[in-house]
Formats: sequence, C-alpha cells, structure tokens
Amino acid sequence: MGDRRKILQRVGLYVLVLLILVWTLGPFIWLFLTSISTQAKLNTIPIQWLPSPPTFEHYQAMFDPTSSTGALFLAAMRNSLIIASSTTIVCLIFGVLAAFSLARFSFRGRNALVMGMLATRLLPTIALAVPFYVLIVGYVERVAPMYDTRHNLVILYTSFIIGLVVWIMQGYFQTIPKDLDEAAMVDGCTRFQALTRVILPLVTPGLVTTGLLAFLLAWDEFLLALIFTRTSNAFTMPYFVFIVGSSQYYQSPAAVAAGGFMAALPPVILALVFQNRLVSGLTAGAVKG
Amino acid sequence: MTAKVSRKQDSGQMSQRRGDQAFAFSLLSPALLIMLVVVFLPLAYAFFLSLNKAEIVVVGGKGSVLAEWRWLKNYLYFLVDPSFWYSVRVTSYFTGVSLAIELVIGTIIALVLDKEFWGRPVVRALLILPWAVPTVVNARLWGLIFEPHAYGALNGLLQTLHLIGPTEAVNFLAPIPIFQNVPGLGQITTWLGATRAINWLILGDTWKVAPVVALLVLAGLQTVPKELYEAAEVDGATAWGRFWRITVPMLRPVILVILVYRTMELFRVFDILYILMAYTIPVLAVKTYQEAFVFGGFGRGSALAFLIGLFILIIAFVYIRLVAVTEEA
Repeated sequence: MGDRRKILQRVGLYVLVLLILVWTLGPFIWLFLTSISTQAKLNTIPIQWLPSPPTFEHYQAMFDPTSSTGALFLAAMRNSLIIASSTTIVCLIFGVLAAFSLARFSFRGRNALVMGMLATRLLPTIALAVPFYVLIVGYVERVAPMYDTRHNLVILYTSFIIGLVVWIMQGYFQTIPKDLDEAAMVDGCTRFQALTRVILPLVTPGLVTTGLLAFLLAWDEFLLALIFTRTSNAFTMPYFVFIVGSSQYYQSPAAVAAGGFMAALPPVILALVFQNRLVSGLTAGAVKG
Repeated sequence: MTAKVSRKQDSGQMSQRRGDQAFAFSLLSPALLIMLVVVFLPLAYAFFLSLNKAEIVVVGGKGSVLAEWRWLKNYLYFLVDPSFWYSVRVTSYFTGVSLAIELVIGTIIALVLDKEFWGRPVVRALLILPWAVPTVVNARLWGLIFEPHAYGALNGLLQTLHLIGPTEAVNFLAPIPIFQNVPGLGQITTWLGATRAINWLILGDTWKVAPVVALLVLAGLQTVPKELYEAAEVDGATAWGRFWRITVPMLRPVILVILVYRTMELFRVFDILYILMAYTIPVLAVKTYQEAFVFGGFGRGSALAFLIGLFILIIAFVYIRLVAVTEEA
C-alpha cells in the first residue's frame, strides 16, 4: 500500500515537472518553430507543430546587409551591443566607487542616499522620458546632437541602472571584512589602492553578476528607444522587433518570429550560462531588500 | 605629558576621520553628479513642466519650448477626468491580477522544485529563460500565439484538445467585457476595465515573470529549517497544515519583497500593452505616452508622469519601511 502511494507520488511529481517544463519552454520553442516555417505551413488547418521542411530564409535575410531587413537588423544589433556594453561600463565604474564609499564609511545622510539610489530604480521610465524629451529637443539639441544618437541612450539608460548597481554592489562590499582594507593600508597601500588591489578582486563574482544585470536591463529597454531614436544611427534590437512587427517593414509572422528570436538570443544565452550568478544577484537585489 | 600625547592621538584620529570623509565623498561624487543631472534635475523639471502648458516648437530644425504658467490646472484636469480614473483602475486591475497569478504559479513551481528529482539542476537552470527574453520579444511572441485565426498556435492547441471545433478560432485579444452574464460581477469587471484581451495579456506577462518569482521563493524555501517540518509531522500536522503554518510564515519576507517590487514593475507596464494593443488598454504609462508624445501636451504629460512617479515613490517608501521592520524582527 505504502509503496504504491510512493510510486504514485513520484509519478505525480514527474508529471508536474514536465508541465512546468512545457509551460516554461513551450512558448519560446514555438517562437523558433514559427521563425523557420514557410507561410504555407503557418496557414494550415489543423495546425502543424513541426515545420517540414524548415526554412532559414528569414535568418539569411537578416544577415544579408543588402536586403532591407538585413540593413535594419545589423544596425540594430550593432547599436544594441554598443549601447548596452557602454551603459554597463559607465554604471560599473561610477557605481562601484559610490557603492564602496557607502559600504565603508558612515556619514550623515548615508542611509537616505542608499534609499534614494534604490528609489531611482523604481521610478517609471515614462516619468523621466517626458522631461528628458523636452530638455533634449528643446534645449540640449541646439548645442550638441542628442536625438537619435547612441550616446544619448547611454546617458538615459545610465539614469535608471546606476542606482541598482550601487545598491547591489554595496551589499557585496559589506560581505568583505573591513579589516582587510586596514591590513592593506598597514602594508603601505593608499585607501584607493586598498580598494583596487585587495577588495575589488574579492568581489569579482559580484561585479560579474551586477554587470550582467545592468547589461540585460539596457538590452531590454524599449520605451526610451522608441521615443529617442528613429534611424539606424541609434535604434536598438527591441525597436527593431517592434518595427518588423508593425509599420511598413512588416513581412510575415515568420519574419517577426525570426527577428524576435535573434533579439532574445544574446540575453538568453548569457542568462543560461550565468544562471547561478544571476539568481544569487536577483536574490541579493530583491530578497535582501 | 600624558595629556599631551592623548591630545596628539586625538587630533591624529580627527584628521584621519576627516581624510576618510574626503575620500568617501570623492568616491561618491561622480555617481552623485550623474544622478543629479540625469535623475533629480529631470524630475524637478518635470514638476515645473507639470505646472505649465508646455509645447515644443521646432523652427528650421531648432526646437524651443513654449511654456505658459497654469498653476495646478493640469493636475485638476486629470483629477476630474473620468478617463484618468479609468486608467488608474485598468492599471490596478492589471497589477493586482498579474501579481496574484504570478505568486500562485511561482509558489507552486517553487514547491515542486524543492523536491528531489532526476534532472533538477537542469530544470532549475532553464527556469531563468523566460525572464531573459526581452519584453518586446515577449509581446511579439504572445501576439503570434494569440493569432485570432484557426491556424494560430493557441487556437490550434484548443482544437487539438477538442475545447473548440476543428476550424473554430477565438479572438483572444478582443476588447470583450467579461462575466457579463453574472449580475453584479459583470458591472464590477466593466468598471475595472477587465476584458478578454487584458486577461490573455496578463497570461503572456506572467509567463515571463512567474519562473523568476519561483526562483526567489525557492531561495526562500531553502532558508526554512527542515527540523520544523519533521517536528510538525511528528505532531501529526497534515501537508496542508504544514504549508500554511510553517512555509507561508517563513516565506513572509521573500513574498513581501516580491509583492512590492512587482507591484511597482507592473504599475508602470508599457511594452506589451502598447505593442499589441496600441492605445486601447490605456494603462497609466500608455496614457502618459499618448498625452505627451502623440498629443504633444508636455505639461499634461508631465503632470501624469509626476503623479505616477509620486505614487511609486510612496510605494517605495512603504516598501523600505516594511523591509526595515522585517529585518529588525
């Protein structure tokens, strides 16, 4: 009797696990299957789950700079890579310095500053987008080109990512005992050298995690790209996926799926490779406060 | 002599302290300056704009801002505008329902993954995939699945399961009010702006987030001491009783953080609704976008943006207080 119940429980568990896997992976697999289907196959009733034969024409088009889709895709991919990496680097450099300062020294207003950093992360993007737009188009544009440029997006993305970087990194710094700084300074390091030579190497895992989160956030951003870019000068992958699905660039569901799959591929690969790190970072960023 | 020495030490500590302060400030200042320029200045400017009727005039490629002082008229305009309160209700409906579903599905997944089974590390690793899919791709992905023709993916699935006829098709993203045949409830859902479309879009948004909620809950589950369960089992508690009496209270801090953090993310939802529904589901972010960038009313847009920002800052404040209280306890 007891054995039978145990076996039933095991079977039930595996059924649940299977359901979780189908729910988690199913939609994404469907995106890929759609992207390699011909239009005729997509329009068949009843539905054909597996495209046979598969076609890779939409991927070929994206990597062909002479096709209209290819020109858009390659520009968007380049812009996204440049913008997301630059944002990550800027946020890490200045965010890490500030985080170290907040983690190591106590001064008046320190707690308010830490909370302020966290609060900026919670601001809705649209609340910053409106004043940014008026300031940039109404004033800044006269002295320096900003609209539809990559550096503009890097600045705007920094605004909502740097607070998170400071927040998570100061948590990592607090796990390193303060004695280590002092020991390094006794050994002749300046305060700054204690940070760069002793403490930073110890928080490398934290740096990687925080950098990844910053990169993924910048890669994902859509609203500001929609408002502040228009041409291949600066538009990003999310904007590309938006315009291939609507507007005059629309071709077919399969083309939209292929574009979406390519836009998702870099963050998905990064997330799967570093999933342990990311989960611990998310836990540090969310669970610990 | 001794007094002199100690005074010397004192001043030494003092100058070291002052050095520390200077060092702390020099590390902090670049980030502070960045945040002042890209966050706090624009917010202050948004407040100024919100008190004006503001338009952008572009002449010969040069833009300039026309501002006309209006006191609090922009705010009053929204506070007496029924469409603003409709937006507040739709946003709240989207937020509340998503949150409830995310938490339930997330907790169920976490409870399953907390058990030992073959291939558990792989399943756990794969859970992060939906979270990594960009929101715009997620919108397009569900747009494809919700295809309103007989050959659409979800329609195909429903046909395969014999839930609808072999050539039938459901228009999932139709703005059809729900529960209309239930007296009372139908009026409430209409008032909230609940439609078939928004419900299916909540499913799409949940797909992306529920697995991460699961991972966070799972991290929380692992902090629950196993002895507690064993003791409860000895005392004859049922599985259900153990879940409510031990698991839920122990998960309280994690769930609290997920609740408030997700509330704020959901409250500013834009991408999936704008991409698939344009302006037909006017959540606050979509309404603000339309007010400022479609109608060109930057004063009114700022007032709206400022109202959302203020609202979110209040939630953030409450959140921080709650977390502080939990950490002390």
